[in-house]
Amino acid sequence: MNRSQRILIVHCFVGSLSLLCGLNVVAQAATPAPRRIVSLAPSVTETIFALGFGNRLVGVTTYCDYPAEALKLPKIGGFMSPSLEAIVAKRPDVVIGVSSATDPVKAREMERLGLKVTLISLASLRDILNSIKSVARLLGSPDAGEKLVHKITKQFDEVKTRVAPAPRRSTLLAVGLQPLVAVGGKNFIDELITLAGGENIAGNAAQPWLNLPDEYVVAKAPQVIIEAGMGSERERSAKYWGDLKSIPAVKEQRVYAYPSDKILRPGPRVGEGLEEIARLVHPECFAASKRESNKGSGCEGSRP
Amino acid sequence: MKVLDRRRMILVNGVLLALLALSVVGCALLGPVRLDLSQALQDIFSANPDAEILFRARLPRILLGVAIGGGMAACGVVLQALLGNPLACPQMLGVSGGASLGGILGLILFPHWLLPIAGGLLGEISWVPLAAFLGALLSMMLVYRFSLFHGRLHPYHLLLSGVIFNSFVAAVIMFLNSIVDFYQAQGLLFWLMGSLSTRAYLTVAFIWAYIIVGFLWLWAKGLSLNLITLGEEAAMQLGVETVALQRQIFVASSLMIGAMVSVSGMIGFVGLMIPHVVRLIVGSDHRLLLPASFLAGGIFLCWADTLARILLAPAELPVGIITAFFGGPFFLFLLYREGSRKLAL
Repeated sequence: MNRSQRILIVHCFVGSLSLLCGLNVVAQAATPAPRRIVSLAPSVTETIFALGFGNRLVGVTTYCDYPAEALKLPKIGGFMSPSLEAIVAKRPDVVIGVSSATDPVKAREMERLGLKVTLISLASLRDILNSIKSVARLLGSPDAGEKLVHKITKQFDEVKTRVAPAPRRSTLLAVGLQPLVAVGGKNFIDELITLAGGENIAGNAAQPWLNLPDEYVVAKAPQVIIEAGMGSERERSAKYWGDLKSIPAVKEQRVYAYPSDKILRPGPRVGEGLEEIARLVHPECFAASKRESNKGSGCEGSRP
Repeated sequence: MKVLDRRRMILVNGVLLALLALSVVGCALLGPVRLDLSQALQDIFSANPDAEILFRARLPRILLGVAIGGGMAACGVVLQALLGNPLACPQMLGVSGGASLGGILGLILFPHWLLPIAGGLLGEISWVPLAAFLGALLSMMLVYRFSLFHGRLHPYHLLLSGVIFNSFVAAVIMFLNSIVDFYQAQGLLFWLMGSLSTRAYLTVAFIWAYIIVGFLWLWAKGLSLNLITLGEEAAMQLGVETVALQRQIFVASSLMIGAMVSVSGMIGFVGLMIPHVVRLIVGSDHRLLLPASFLAGGIFLCWADTLARILLAPAELPVGIITAFFGGPFFLFLLYREGSRKLAL
């Protein structure tokens, strides 16, 4: 190899390097929307699909089961215990987790490895709507976020106007019976109960989830009992409450099994879930849907 | 050791029995919600909230608490004597781990199509305690088999195989906990922490039957238990059939522990601490130590559960937290005051 050839090679190398750097600078200036996303929570996965960016997901948790397409995506571990190696191997442009669930030590470690980590807060309904907007902005499509949030707030408003004429019904929302685990205060599900025209009997509790003693439920005398969560069936909850006949919900057969995670998951389906539990709390407000002209009259006079 | 006579026996047990009766009444009147006693007693069988709070929510729970507290303490006494180890407790025997695993498998793998049949046949007894009891029986046989050499039960092998079986089972439970659904995992965790919450008098009666039979069986061995604490060889020379005694104690206490864990999960500390506290106070004659520990264990768990319902009301704390929180410091205080004088088994 003679000298000129060597110079040529070096020039080519340096040239291509500078070209690469230049490209890099351009890329950073425009910060293109992330193409490869890893989701660390089922609610984040749902949000990304609902925004129309499901095809950008390259890794989800083993708990991400909605929509059905999410089941086919590569898994990076559990909700509380994602695998760092599996995440890094996916070479994501961004990793999106939930601040209450994602281990901060793990998040820092990911950042140290050069990954971009975004944690969203999902403690209240306001948080859920805000995080939909911020995820949409992050993915470079703020309009999609505004549209989705608009759809959910419209669902909220529809339910609110429907149940507005009806008096509030005291409600117990349980996710397990043995032992009895109920939704407490400072929990977005507590807000959903209120929006549905109910009043959470454990809403004054300091904990978002709590183990309630039976005597408390008897003393609070809820008018509606909803057992939410997968694997809840009607026979079991009816049997569990059967011998506490003084509870109005039991006496009037307003004990419902609601085997769905729509309201348990702080994602884009909370609006749908809200309507479904509002139908359980105030069925009479929805039965009147055919007679739209005199709407509301069905539930006003229905106080038991 | 103080001489045991009839007067002392009646005095100690009488005082404890009176305290237990007072505790049951007191705990029935205390709780996170107010109870109107006159309303509750007016019409027991109607759907009246006060009656339901007293007779459905509180009383079965208190009766269960007395049985479990007493049973755990009695098992602790005999296991400490049998294994010659002051750290022995019902949670150590492998049976409790087996019961937990059985219960958890019952929770996860409940065959849903069985529900109408199982509900009809078994009435108030639910599937999970049944699965737990089955797990207890299986693990009892397993641990027994591994501790048996040349037809003899070896206390050290029993201790080791029990502890190792339990840690193995704990790993299996953690594994199951990490593969099930998130909300199911929460349920498992609550179940594992143990609770006395029940409304089924049938379940309470089932536990009492086990506890009473097991307790009387163990109490009848009181004198032999005194001798075995002198050491196996000394006991044999004094005419104790140690091989048969060890086997009987193991089976009786395993059955009791299996039944208890299957209904109330792992409520720790009672079985470890109460025998030591009672031994410090009444001495180590098992003929008195056993009934006194039973009564003291019942009193202690009864109050611990009431505190668990009240302290963070409306939330209910796992009762195991209370037993350790109040029992631990009290035990250390007694230990400090009495020194090593009376601690000997």
